[in-house]
Amino acid sequence: MLHLVVCLKQILDPEIPPADFKLDPSAQRAAPTASLVASIFDENALEIALQLREKVGDARITAISLGPPSAVDVLRKALSMRADDAILIREEDFPGIDAHGCARVLAAAIRKLPPADLILCGRETGDWHGGLVAAFLAAEFDRPYTNFVAGITKEGDHFHLRRQTEDGWEIVRSAAPAVITVTNDDHNLPRIPKVKDNMMAFRKQIPAWTASDLGLVPASVAGPNSKLEQSRLYVPVVDRKCEIITGDNAEAKARQLVERLAALQVI
Amino acid sequence: MRNVLAILIPAGAFSRTEAETITAGKSLAAQLGADLSVGILGPSDDSFARECFAFGAKSLTRVEGLAAYQSEAYSAAAQQIAASVAADVILFPSTTYGLEIAPGVGYRLGAAVILDCVGLIGDSSGNLTITKPVYGGKANSELIARQGPVVIAMRMRSVAPGEKQDGATGEINTIPAPALSPRTQILEHTTEDTGSGPKLEDARVIISGGRGLGNKENFVHLEELARLLGGSVGASRAACDQGWVPATLQIGQTGKKVAPDLYLAVGISGASQHLVGIAGARHIVAINKDAKAPIFQVAALGVVDEWQALLPKLVVALTEHKARNS
Ligand SMILES: Cc1cc2nc3c(=O)[nH]c(=O)nc-3n(C[C@H](O)[C@H](O)[C@H](O)COP(=O)(O)OP(=O)(O)OC[C@H]3O[C@@H](n4cnc5c(N)ncnc54)[C@H](O)[C@@H]3O)c2cc1C
Repeated sequence: MLHLVVCLKQILDPEIPPADFKLDPSAQRAAPTASLVASIFDENALEIALQLREKVGDARITAISLGPPSAVDVLRKALSMRADDAILIREEDFPGIDAHGCARVLAAAIRKLPPADLILCGRETGDWHGGLVAAFLAAEFDRPYTNFVAGITKEGDHFHLRRQTEDGWEIVRSAAPAVITVTNDDHNLPRIPKVKDNMMAFRKQIPAWTASDLGLVPASVAGPNSKLEQSRLYVPVVDRKCEIITGDNAEAKARQLVERLAALQVI
Repeated sequence: MRNVLAILIPAGAFSRTEAETITAGKSLAAQLGADLSVGILGPSDDSFARECFAFGAKSLTRVEGLAAYQSEAYSAAAQQIAASVAADVILFPSTTYGLEIAPGVGYRLGAAVILDCVGLIGDSSGNLTITKPVYGGKANSELIARQGPVVIAMRMRSVAPGEKQDGATGEINTIPAPALSPRTQILEHTTEDTGSGPKLEDARVIISGGRGLGNKENFVHLEELARLLGGSVGASRAACDQGWVPATLQIGQTGKKVAPDLYLAVGISGASQHLVGIAGARHIVAINKDAKAPIFQVAALGVVDEWQALLPKLVVALTEHKARNS
């Protein structure tokens, strides 16, 4: 049986309009002005894990999240999309954790599970856009790492990963166990959970593992990124005036637009 | 003192991507009072080396016998080059391959790793100030790296290639490819057919469509405009997710970063994650039926209308303009 582990992070809704975005008074992070959601690429990752399970039949999917108590909502959503198990890791136990620490904590949790054949993460989170944790996990486990995967098949004891590049697609054959990040394409839009699965997910127990459950001393997980000092977090000012083209009808607007484009010397 | 190394992963001839990486490395090295070394992963010829020197490399390391890209072989080679020049600031390109190997290389070197940066400044005590957009481009995080090794990938198109000094030369070293048995293998590479226009990254004119286009077929209107203006078609994530256009046309935070003279956004709301990709555009023009769409906050020119009404008239007006001016 294949064991697929999907790592999901809960973040502030990244799609709020800029006008609603505010910084926390500490000026070290965003203020909680938006609802909390699963980071979108993590859901793409879960989606392709589900698709792989549908293809191979015999697979188990574990969703894990390192996060605050509210992150249990992300895990419930994962269960309602039909992940088999979900585990929360208490982020409060690891204050100020960096990307290295995150990878070490996730690795410690994954080591407690049945051996994982494939670990899937989103290509980057929708809040800090680090793009590091999956690669660090691969390094922790010394496993092959492939990024920007949009689809997977199992061929014998290898995975065939359909991976996006600048100008197209590659098929990467990867030995198992492996670690990948997932990017979006039209084949991995996260499915909408069914009502009955929502109810099932609601009843399911989700364990919350602590630092001591994982045998970790919080201070020892930090890595070199924790040495970086955030000297400033600020909202960049965009000061542009938009000239709205007016006209009685579409034709007049189109003519006016062409005139203005010609004046800008771009046509 | 810091030693700066720029890692290049050529995809054929010397391109703007390499020029950006070297330029970022060169100005950082100058600020730190150091010299820039360049490491080339994969096959490259002498004219490639000449370009590296022209853009400011002081020395260059090639890897003998390193064939087409394979992540583990390229990672190991990057680490060997870093060790051979005692690099403690290593720049990677923000390409698929660059972003694949940079974090692991950093991890094994015990380095701090920061990807997708838009600002990089050094001072004479070796401190680096790094700017990285966060929250989908709604904020900038400024980070200070004081000591220890650092791995950085600059965002594509966030660095303007510097002046070239043709004829500049430097030292060329060669190291053997590391021996290992790779666990991944690229079986095939298919290039997505993205129409007749130039590559999005190089296009002077981009006509881009979003969810407001409504379906795949409607993109023919954008293709017609692109042909008329000698440009290329791009898209928002929403349009790619619908399968209306290939995901390789996605522009934004997790798509292409583009810098055209004219970016025409049709039926695109202007989410911050999209705007991130067009920060380098000279003139943004928006066509959107919603006057409150955030795209108008960054556009120089805007038309509040349904594209269905406007685009056919725009094609006519542009054709007439072309006829008058030819
Ligand atoms: C981590 C992360 C990374 C992301 N990366 C990217 C990225 O790289 N690129 C990207 O684009 N997005 C990205 N997104 C998604 C982004 O947040 C938005 O969801 C997306 O850009 C919206 O696309 P859109 O503007 O086409 O759609 P919408 O926001 O739905 O906007 C559609 C627009 O069309 C207009 N419209 C509708 N009908 C018409 C008509 N008939 N005529 C004229 N106008 C019309 C509407 O008024 C509306 O403004 C990312 C999100 C996250 C969280």
